[in-house]
Amino acid sequence: MSDIVIQASELHKTYDETAVPVHALRGVNLQIKQGEFTAIVGPSGSGKSTLLNIIGGLDRPSSGNIQVGGTDISTLNDNQLIDFRKDNIGFVFQSYNLIPVLTAKENVEFVMMLQGSSTEERDRRTKELMDAVGLGDRMHNRPSELSGGQQQRVAVARALAPKPTFILADEPTANLDSTSTANLLDIMARLNKEENITFVFSTHDQRVIDRARRVVVLEDGLIASDTAS
Amino acid sequence: MKWIGLAWKNIWRNRIRSIVVIGAIAIGIWAILFISGFTRGMVQNYINDSISTQISHIQIHHPKFGDDKELKFNIAEAHDLRQELLSMDGVKSATTRTISNGMISSSKGARGVNIIGIDPAEESQVTAMKDKMIEGDYLNVDKKNPIIISRRIAERLGLKIRSKVILTFQNVAQDITAGAFRVVGIYDTGNAQYDELQIYVKKEDLQRLIGVDEPIVHEMALLVNDFNAVDQVRDQIKSAHPNLLIENYKELSPDLELFNTQIKLNIVILTVIIMLALIFGIINTMLMAVLERKKELGMLMAIGMNKWKVFRLIVMETLFLSFVGGPLGLLIAFLSLQGFAQTGIDLSNWSGGLSQFGLNPIIYPDLHTGSFVFVMFSVMVTAFLASIYPARKAVKLKPVDALRAL
Repeated sequence: MSDIVIQASELHKTYDETAVPVHALRGVNLQIKQGEFTAIVGPSGSGKSTLLNIIGGLDRPSSGNIQVGGTDISTLNDNQLIDFRKDNIGFVFQSYNLIPVLTAKENVEFVMMLQGSSTEERDRRTKELMDAVGLGDRMHNRPSELSGGQQQRVAVARALAPKPTFILADEPTANLDSTSTANLLDIMARLNKEENITFVFSTHDQRVIDRARRVVVLEDGLIASDTAS
Repeated sequence: MKWIGLAWKNIWRNRIRSIVVIGAIAIGIWAILFISGFTRGMVQNYINDSISTQISHIQIHHPKFGDDKELKFNIAEAHDLRQELLSMDGVKSATTRTISNGMISSSKGARGVNIIGIDPAEESQVTAMKDKMIEGDYLNVDKKNPIIISRRIAERLGLKIRSKVILTFQNVAQDITAGAFRVVGIYDTGNAQYDELQIYVKKEDLQRLIGVDEPIVHEMALLVNDFNAVDQVRDQIKSAHPNLLIENYKELSPDLELFNTQIKLNIVILTVIIMLALIFGIINTMLMAVLERKKELGMLMAIGMNKWKVFRLIVMETLFLSFVGGPLGLLIAFLSLQGFAQTGIDLSNWSGGLSQFGLNPIIYPDLHTGSFVFVMFSVMVTAFLASIYPARKAVKLKPVDALRAL
């Protein structure tokens, strides 16, 4: 029981802002355990982003239940959700989304600052994480001084900084060349293997799918297949 | 890295936009302070000029003299009273005057005037009339029946130094009497209304023509040591001499107070107008800053920055704009006001209209600390109010929508 990180039960999501309601999720059941390296794949409109948003506490299901680390996050209000995300979920976005006016180090320690960590703790962990993503020597560079691959590695370090329950990565390699993609996947796979960090990706990228140890395929708002290697 | 540091860095993301709004704040502040300093200077000049050349700090009259300027409404035992006042704490100097309404005539014409008989030595301790002489001498000359007149009267009556004039007025027997006087000096106070009416002669000459044996005093004018103690000294004299009419400069010339109040009100109105314009400028800038960073703000909320912190960040950024623009405006205002406080602003080209109202054409702006504090405080309040709408807009963003924004 304790090693279940994400437990989604009968998730439904309907967007009814338009004249014809769109059923993005039609009853998804998914369980992700500690230390999994899971890719959620599917064509556009399959409900992949919706599922990721609900798992990440950015959106709420129309019905069904979503538990993260044992907490039913569908019952949390906006402020509780923000706090929950801060302490439990590490986000890696497709377009890096680093804060341009801050250095790599400042970006990484940002969430720790929100958590109220001490300066010493932030300095120690930031250094550790920047070393882990191979950018120990680029701590004081701003995002504009880093390549896309380097920026995404900083984003991974930022996602790991608050010691989250799991990392949620939305198309993390979409903007990267093959070398940077391979590099990033190596780092994430190593962190997964060595530190038992749980990764959940949404992706179209075959290179990511090939490296994933579990692939969940969504189609028309339902899980079409779920394979572990 | 602290929140303040982040807010500070954020305002420099779009340098030009920030500089434009900072410039607008600085110019707004400068405009308010400069106009305020200029008008304060103008009012202060007016008050100082009025006090030094005309009304002094306190005047004492017979209670009925103001209604009907008859010779009999004089101050009894004025000499003793003057000595008593001079021995009082706070009284700097005092002068006694004999006043009669009459007419000045030359070969070119005649005009109704107030004939003021003074003791030149006493008078120069109270009024600065001596400094207003533009030609000739003050009254302390050894000539028979000397008179000083204003430049305006001299022009209208075609008079020069050494010209002879006839003064006609009522004597103590209520008969019309006349005396010949010779112009020894011409003055110009800059106040047309005043200059049109006042002429000065020696007190003893006037008394002789009036036909009194004893010195007769209709007006006593006083200067006090401390401008702020005028009311206190007035009250003190009032309680000692309840039978006399004792008035301070504001009571003698109510227009001074009205002028002062009106100017203060105008400054407040101007401040409100400029602040309103600034509010819209700041809102526009900050709204653009928020909308441009929609995706980033969504990301910040996604990774755990709560709404209060987002709100606080935007408010801080807005306040920083005023923290930079404010002191800059204060500095420019300080430097320009201080510069002009030395040299004065010469409005001679427009002085015709100004001097009609008794205003000196050279204005020395007044640096008033209270105005600087008031304007800086107003800007801070304005910036805070202007930050609320963009900050609310930021916290209303939904991370899931904001992250999708281009």
